[in-house]
Amino acid sequence: MRSLLATVLAAYLIAAIHSILAFINKRRSVQRVAEWATVTGFVLHTGALVVDWMIDGHYPLFFLRETLSFLAWALVAVYALVLYRYRAQAVGAFTMPLISVLVFFALLANPGPSDAPAAFSATRLFPIHTTLVIFAYAAFFIVFMASVMYLLQERELKLKTFSAIFYRLPPLTTINELATSAAVVGLTLLTLGIATGMIWSWNRYGRFWHNDPKEIFAALTWLVYLVLIIYRSTADWRGRRAAWLGVLGFALVLCTLFGTRLLGGYHKFGLFLGI
Amino acid sequence: MSIILVGVNHKTAPVEIRERLAFSDEACADGLRRLVDGEIVREGLIVSTCNRVEILSAITAEQLESGTGRLAEFLDATARLPTGFLINHLYQHTDEEAVRHLFRVASSLDSMVVGEPQVLGQVRHAYSVAVEAGTAGRILNRLVHHTFRVAKRVRNETGIAANAVSISYMAVELGKKIFDSLKGCTVLLVGAGEMAELSARHLVNAGASRVLITNRTEETARQLAAEFGAVTVPFDQLDHALTEADVVICSTGAPTYVLTEGQARRSLGRRRNRPTCFIDISVPRNIEPAVGKVPNVFLFDIDDLESVITSNIREREREAERAELIVQSEVMQFQQSLRLMDVGPSIGALREKMQEVARAELVRQRKRLGVLTEEQEAAIEALLVSTINKISHPIMNQMRRFYETTEPDAAQSSKDIFELDE
Repeated sequence: MRSLLATVLAAYLIAAIHSILAFINKRRSVQRVAEWATVTGFVLHTGALVVDWMIDGHYPLFFLRETLSFLAWALVAVYALVLYRYRAQAVGAFTMPLISVLVFFALLANPGPSDAPAAFSATRLFPIHTTLVIFAYAAFFIVFMASVMYLLQERELKLKTFSAIFYRLPPLTTINELATSAAVVGLTLLTLGIATGMIWSWNRYGRFWHNDPKEIFAALTWLVYLVLIIYRSTADWRGRRAAWLGVLGFALVLCTLFGTRLLGGYHKFGLFLGI
Repeated sequence: MSIILVGVNHKTAPVEIRERLAFSDEACADGLRRLVDGEIVREGLIVSTCNRVEILSAITAEQLESGTGRLAEFLDATARLPTGFLINHLYQHTDEEAVRHLFRVASSLDSMVVGEPQVLGQVRHAYSVAVEAGTAGRILNRLVHHTFRVAKRVRNETGIAANAVSISYMAVELGKKIFDSLKGCTVLLVGAGEMAELSARHLVNAGASRVLITNRTEETARQLAAEFGAVTVPFDQLDHALTEADVVICSTGAPTYVLTEGQARRSLGRRRNRPTCFIDISVPRNIEPAVGKVPNVFLFDIDDLESVITSNIREREREAERAELIVQSEVMQFQQSLRLMDVGPSIGALREKMQEVARAELVRQRKRLGVLTEEQEAAIEALLVSTINKISHPIMNQMRRFYETTEPDAAQSSKDIFELDE
């Protein structure tokens, strides 16, 4: 099991190194290596998750190790979509290293007990809730990446500095469109994720809301992206301001994802890093 | 056989000399037929462009000096100049250097504007003329095909031709950094100057679907519009046109600002914040510099364009360094393949000679063997041939190695041992 994940890490590392090299020297052959390594890694990773599921008997998204691995997997899936749809290769140079780090920590993390508490695996709703939210976060990461790229590229064009970055980043409207559609996808997934979480909580505890930090942050995140999308569609809010909102939103995502481990609350169950 | 290249280019000869040397296609074919005599000058090819005239040829190795002299004389005669006149302008490359030079020329590393795409087509054309004249033989065929491969590799693997280096093409370049595709974009020309026209042409070639032209004297605008299939807009409706335009190219002779910040802001509002690219190529400037401060509006004046070009040229130079490495490794590969081509015939000759000896011996001794079945006879012959092949195998390998490691003396001595050079 561990060795399979280590192979996945190797593939992602190859992809990360080649993405960075391709970003620097713009060679198509290097980019191709990066893409093949990404695809290979993704296939193996999918296999690793399935094997995990079969051996442990619960959906592989519960303990810290599983969460990190699953988050990495979701990011690769989303990144592959972006690559396919927008040919924005520059995204890989920033995403693949992060993904590699996530898988690396997944390898290091304590495997934990192999059984999840029965209450969580008994219902189908809980894994659906966590999967939706993880994918929402992956989409928000793309919004964040695109926003940062937008800010960099816009700066180059406004100040007319034309450094190496200018030649390597995609055109402004491509980045803008990427950010908008990723935000729409992310918000949809997050809405569904929050809804399924609420229903699950209602079934189990008889209440929708626990007022814990994670929920509050999630609600704030939801609000920020909603504002972002509404502004983009009604007031044609584009450019720098929208990009800054994309960055702010992601800061909230990080708070939701990791902050609650520090703040405690209802979503924290001992070893388990809740979603 | 040696490969020789003799020629002049924009660095070694002024245009007065280059124009006298320039070959038309017919002159080129005629000249080649005269030049290639099949004894000293075995093969030939002439590349003639506005920046260079070069003769590439394969010459019998022993006659190198006189052959090279003939090429130089041929150029003198073509330019109707006294013999030796060109000597200070000519460069001359032999073998490896000639191969490298041709690779560099075709990859556009030796061009006036590094990375310009035309030169490969010109080399291709020169080759087809030589093929028709019947002066491209074994060596040049191989060399030219290798050259095409190198040029393609350089183009694909480096960004040598990636970024624009002319003012008129900058509009396309900058437009592509703002809009993901220029398809469907609307271009507005304010002022119908020549430079604006050239930029607009590039934009249309890159996919821009609509061109609007406005000018103070409407007649000029109308003339230009007819050439483009563009739409003219009265000058007082400039604001209206701005709303539609994604790329605005401004080049009027007006002494003051034609476009102000206020106009840009208002049009941005009507455009629902869609980005606009303003390019001001007029001096004095026609677009108020404060326009550049409006969000989602990008303004470039003539100095900005110059600075992008400078940085693009730097980028091309960086890429050219990588291209030189590719050329270097390809030159080595080509030289090796040429050596193997040389060794091929002598290995074949050696094998044939040995088998001949074996068969002759068999014929001589045949009587003593008495009556044999057909199978036995075939077996004896097979035995001889395979013995010969096994014994000669290491010798042939050694010969190949000598050629690969460029030890012509050693290669020659193994030829001498078996008396292969009759």
